[in-house]
Amino acid sequence: MEITTATHDGATVLTLTGRVDTTTSADLEAAINQQIEKGNRKILINFSGVTYISSGGLRVLLATAKKLRNGDDRYALCCLSAEVHKVLKLAGFTSIFSIYPSEGEALAKW
Amino acid sequence: MPGAGGAECYPVIRKIDTISSNSYLIRTPDALVLIDPGGLAEQADHLISVIDECRKERYIPLVVFLTHAHVDHFLSLLQSSSLTDPELSVIALQEAGVIALREGDRDVTQAAILGLEITNIEIGLCLLSRKGASTPGIPATLTFPNGVTIRTVRDEIAGGSGAPIQREHITIGQGLEIDIFNTPGHSPDSICLRLGRMLFIGDLLFAASPGVAGIVGWSQDALLQSIDAIYSLVCGNEVDIVCPGHGRVISAATAKTMLVSIRKDVLTLGGIEELNKERSLDTATFAEECLEHVSELFTIMAGRLYYVSYVIEELGEADMAEHLATLIRSDTVDELLDSFSAFSEEYRSGKQQPIHLALKAAHVMAKIERSFDGAALGRIIDPTLVSRTGRLLSDYTTTLRGFSPPTESSLQNISSILEALIISNSVPACSDDDLLSSADDNDAFVQVLLARIGTPPLLKDVEVTFECPDPMLVAPIDLDRFCDLVTEILEDLVGTGAEKIQITVYKSGSFVIITITGTGCIRSTSEQETGFMRRACHNAGGSLIYDCSGATRRFEITLNPVQ
Repeated sequence: MEITTATHDGATVLTLTGRVDTTTSADLEAAINQQIEKGNRKILINFSGVTYISSGGLRVLLATAKKLRNGDDRYALCCLSAEVHKVLKLAGFTSIFSIYPSEGEALAKW
Repeated sequence: MPGAGGAECYPVIRKIDTISSNSYLIRTPDALVLIDPGGLAEQADHLISVIDECRKERYIPLVVFLTHAHVDHFLSLLQSSSLTDPELSVIALQEAGVIALREGDRDVTQAAILGLEITNIEIGLCLLSRKGASTPGIPATLTFPNGVTIRTVRDEIAGGSGAPIQREHITIGQGLEIDIFNTPGHSPDSICLRLGRMLFIGDLLFAASPGVAGIVGWSQDALLQSIDAIYSLVCGNEVDIVCPGHGRVISAATAKTMLVSIRKDVLTLGGIEELNKERSLDTATFAEECLEHVSELFTIMAGRLYYVSYVIEELGEADMAEHLATLIRSDTVDELLDSFSAFSEEYRSGKQQPIHLALKAAHVMAKIERSFDGAALGRIIDPTLVSRTGRLLSDYTTTLRGFSPPTESSLQNISSILEALIISNSVPACSDDDLLSSADDNDAFVQVLLARIGTPPLLKDVEVTFECPDPMLVAPIDLDRFCDLVTEILEDLVGTGAEKIQITVYKSGSFVIITITGTGCIRSTSEQETGFMRRACHNAGGSLIYDCSGATRRFEITLNPVQ
């Protein structure tokens, strides 16, 4: 899995490509934690290049939600493939996260 | 080697796989005996180096016995001329194997299913020939170009179930005595060899295993007879150590226990479908479909549990949240799924054969099954997620064993089943009344609360319409499998964002037809998933057509007519 990081209007966008599996979910967690440690607490994860997420990946998403819940924090997911959307929806995660169809729509709300 | 007059055994014991067998090299003053050179060139090279070492002081002739002519037991011969050169060695094989090799039979030798090629090998000594059976007790002496003299005498011994089995007593040189027993079943040419108090039994212990039982040349009747005969032999006082073709060497007592258990398994294998190249391909396709679906179901279950744990932790119940995480060993299952995915990639790139993928899937599924507490999970999250995962794992094992997954067809009112499914997926698993009535008992309250959080109604945020002009329509279906299928379709539509779902039931001729249409969806179903649902529909008692047009996706189930 590849992770590219970009900044837009104070928000950090992590764009993922590939599988979020056992190995790569640890990389994702490290990349998110690195941003949070730098003080970047508006994080958008773009899933446009992901068709598979493991339970390890779900755990990382949930752990991030626990870290970003102060008043000014922002945390959302966007561009979910149908496969990833189905897993998140049926696991009940769509009621915890803000999910947007595109980066633009997510950032417009921040 | 106990009871073998000073003979020494050099065993090459491998991790169990389909590529190569164990090898056993035996040194006596008269001859070297090699039982099963294996399937790998490097294994043969290693054995040749040991043989060369044994011959350092003087030449000793070599006799190679094959417990049967399956490629994992003999293919290395084709790559090592020093083992096949008649001036250096004699190769001995049961008559049916001699014929298979002479004819280059890729099916009986399992070369076809493993994607391998074979060429002719010169067999010096044909064991347990039909012709020899007609001259019991009359010895024959043969001298071979490599200098070895072999004396053979045919007879038969009582088999455990009464039917006698053929034996060939062999004397190599002046005093190396070997008993060869005819033990077909795993293959037509399978033999067991006894040297002193050691018994070499080839693949007898694996003959009932999924992915092995039913291979071309396999026979249930012959196998039962062979198991009985060998059981009777190990129960006697002539064998201490049993050397299988794969895996570790075992004691006679362990072999006895294993043979009893294998016999029971073999008895269940009546009517097993032949495991040939075609079936291995079908099974591999099903394996990929199953694992993809198991992966999705498992990730949803684990995610649901994380979600419950998250909410419970928010409520200040950190200990309970921690306990929930133990119900699924998520990391283990993720690793298993990743390893299958990598193996599947290799298969798709042509590096693995279908049978290898099928066996890998069985291995992964067996481990997944041990990685979650289904009973405890089913009390918290949607129990059908757990039961469907269990059924999939079971169906796969059944298919790999060579049987069709069990179905129970009965005449059912389709309208009332669908209505009940819609209702059960629209209301919380635990009602407000359940919650209130459990309030006096802390344990009961926690259980109801967990279930309420962990099992949200699937159709909660979706507009569902149901049309069935004739509420009395009946059709023969497997009720559980039908409900699973409809739930799968509803989950697929809801999971991919359907805003509205329309379910219609009507009759066309003698067929009951159900259409389930979702609108506002964000994708089309992948080919593999549709294949999985078609198979599920077939087992439920119908056929499935899937159609996708933009954001609208439509599943049409045609149920089998009433006979």
